[in-house]
Amino acid sequence: MTRWLFGLLAMMFAALIAPIDTGAQGKDTLTVALPSHAPTLDPHMHFERVGVLVNINMFDSLLHRSAKLEFEPSLATSWKALSDTTWEFKLRKGVKFHDGSTMTAEDVKYSFERVLEPGKEKKKSPQYGNIRAIKEVKIVDAETIHLITDKPFPLLLERLVYFGIVPKKHIEKVGEEAFGSTATVGTGPWKLVEWKRDQHIRLEAFDQHWRGKPAFKYLVFRAIPEVATAVAELKTGGVDIIRNVNADLLPDLKNHPQTRISTTPILRVHYISLDMRSAPFDKKAARQAANYAIDRQSMIQKMMAGLGKEVATVVQPPAFGFDPSVKPYPYDPKKAKELLAQAGYPNGVDITLHSSAVDWRPHFEALGQMLTEVGLRTTVKMWDPGPAWNKFFQTEGKATNGQYGSWGNYSVFDADAVLHPLYHTEPGGWIGKHYARVEGLDKLIDEARSTVDQLRRKRIYADIQRMIREEAPSVFLWTQNDTLGISKKVAYEARPDEWLWLFAARPAS
Amino acid sequence: MPAFLIRRLLRFVVVCVGVSLVTFSILHASGDPVALIMPEAAEADRDRLREALGLTDPLATQFVRFVAHAARGDFGQSFFHREPAFRLVVERMPTTLGLTCLAVALALLIAIPTGVYSAVFRNTIGDHAATAVVFLGQSMPVFWIGIMLMLLFAVQWRLLPVSGWDSWSSMVLPALTLGSFTTPLFMRIVRSSMLEVINLDYVRTARAKGLSEWLVICRHALRNAALPIVTVIGLQFGLLLGGAVLTESVFAVPGVGRLIIGAIRQLDFPIVQAGVFLLAIMIVLANLLVDILYVYLNPTVRLR
Repeated sequence: MTRWLFGLLAMMFAALIAPIDTGAQGKDTLTVALPSHAPTLDPHMHFERVGVLVNINMFDSLLHRSAKLEFEPSLATSWKALSDTTWEFKLRKGVKFHDGSTMTAEDVKYSFERVLEPGKEKKKSPQYGNIRAIKEVKIVDAETIHLITDKPFPLLLERLVYFGIVPKKHIEKVGEEAFGSTATVGTGPWKLVEWKRDQHIRLEAFDQHWRGKPAFKYLVFRAIPEVATAVAELKTGGVDIIRNVNADLLPDLKNHPQTRISTTPILRVHYISLDMRSAPFDKKAARQAANYAIDRQSMIQKMMAGLGKEVATVVQPPAFGFDPSVKPYPYDPKKAKELLAQAGYPNGVDITLHSSAVDWRPHFEALGQMLTEVGLRTTVKMWDPGPAWNKFFQTEGKATNGQYGSWGNYSVFDADAVLHPLYHTEPGGWIGKHYARVEGLDKLIDEARSTVDQLRRKRIYADIQRMIREEAPSVFLWTQNDTLGISKKVAYEARPDEWLWLFAARPAS
Repeated sequence: MPAFLIRRLLRFVVVCVGVSLVTFSILHASGDPVALIMPEAAEADRDRLREALGLTDPLATQFVRFVAHAARGDFGQSFFHREPAFRLVVERMPTTLGLTCLAVALALLIAIPTGVYSAVFRNTIGDHAATAVVFLGQSMPVFWIGIMLMLLFAVQWRLLPVSGWDSWSSMVLPALTLGSFTTPLFMRIVRSSMLEVINLDYVRTARAKGLSEWLVICRHALRNAALPIVTVIGLQFGLLLGGAVLTESVFAVPGVGRLIIGAIRQLDFPIVQAGVFLLAIMIVLANLLVDILYVYLNPTVRLR
């Protein structure tokens, strides 16, 4: 008994003094904390943000997007629209895949057709919807590709920024499953060394990458579900970059000797979508009243550490089509009360709002308070994201007056990517289908979608913004920042598209 | 002995059927599973999927089919990972069991000496202090203890890694966190059962033989006091597996609990079903094992 006890004690002591392996923290390793891993490393077979962030560092697309959100050459050196429906891309010569083979026009064609699966009724790739407009991929010669769309498709270039080019021969040899887990091969700056599910993805710099070698030889993505744990790892050097730092953690990371923060406005816009099918929000005056009731500035300053920007509509300033001449609703509770009386509710009215944005619960409750103060007596209902919330939405949000949430455009910098899901009433529209009923809006959204004439699109979007500001199908709130916590040993800044393009990361001098 | 074993095994089968009934109803309790799987699809497509999944059959038929498949370890494909759900859960089971066993070991390591100390020196300041500290531990939620231990040992003193599961040192904090949950109970059991035996005749005889107090306590008293501890370990095993779910999230341990939490968020029912089923079976097995061990340790049970 005693011997056994001493043995255990000795073991525990040995464990205590054993060298601490914090994930091989040399200055040649960059470690990033993600809340989880995507189900596969195959860039075409998932649509998870956490997977995209890994994939962009392993795969190149035809185009790259700079930190200033401009299109840059990547695997395509130049591109132009030959007509409304035909785009020409010149391919970069001599690009190598991680297995040593050279990228060809065949690989590019294969990559698209792998997702499009022409002739098949059921598509395997969850990204099919993103590029479904492409009708044909034509190899003109060894360095020229034509993408032909079924109708004018203005979002094509946006969609190509995240569309990895994969090696045809390699995938046909190793099979899809191995390609997505152990034998992942792209043309990007880093190649796969090892993926331990729910633990880490370890990558190594690819010597023959066409841009040259990245500053960090190893890139590791650790899966850490809890924010508090990720923060502790950052402070102790176990990881170098953490994402989605909340306002309450900012002072802590700002003041810590080993860490700093990097923050930038992103596309994510917050709103309360109002149910225009039933009282009281079937009346325009009531919807406008709700918009006048919100003190956006105070909320941004007091609850978001100043990291946000009030918006006039749901179209975000960095998105194509944003019109700065449309101004946000001012905070005017007196006017809100007048408008509510005009709408037929001089003594106020009871409403219920729903949300599944658990991280934003305090903000949601504050919004409810402000609405209550002008007479829109609000009950806020918080849902767990997941089954209950989906069920709520399946019943078309019955017995409700609106929903608080946010929309991130899937990182597509175009007004269409927020207007269509929120306000288009046809299937394919998301909340729009349930809540929005703005006369004439569907037609305008469709019109802007079906031309590649960017000037004309801009004009249509300007009209739409003026229209929805007046009609107020939502309470327009603010855009959010993305904030990274970064080790002081690493030079890197947050990007407006929330990407982690780590080729740009350097050891801090 | 065989009759006893057969009785226990029969009970095991009954519990397994009960577990599968609960697991089976998880999917149906959460509303229309098809609508959850394809929320944006047209009703015609949903009908086709319903047909394909056999959801149009009577519930009893579905249940029998579910049990038949579950018995073969077939819970279907995970929606998210697109791999057999059972395999994904089984892959992570050793980690969770390892964490739980380590937690029990650490808990015993703390509970047995403190319990014995408290019994031998009962009603002294030391006894009260030990009780107070240990109970303070139990009244704090696992989640919070985990973060506090992390802040102290990993951030403040830099003795151990913050999270992960790739070296012995990274296993200490999760095991300690999970163990803290069950240490007080173990300690109380050790203390009270020690108190029971410490004044019995055979202990007095041992002392009379002139054995040292240390030997009397360890060899004679503690061995007989160990019986109830075995029972409690079995009972606590289930609670510990439940606690492992939270601990795994806090310390980024790649176990079953974390897989299930992720699956719940993603509506990945095959994984939730496979995970809950397997964990439940583990708990039932642990109890069965305790029953058998008990017989081995205490012959009087056999006679009943």
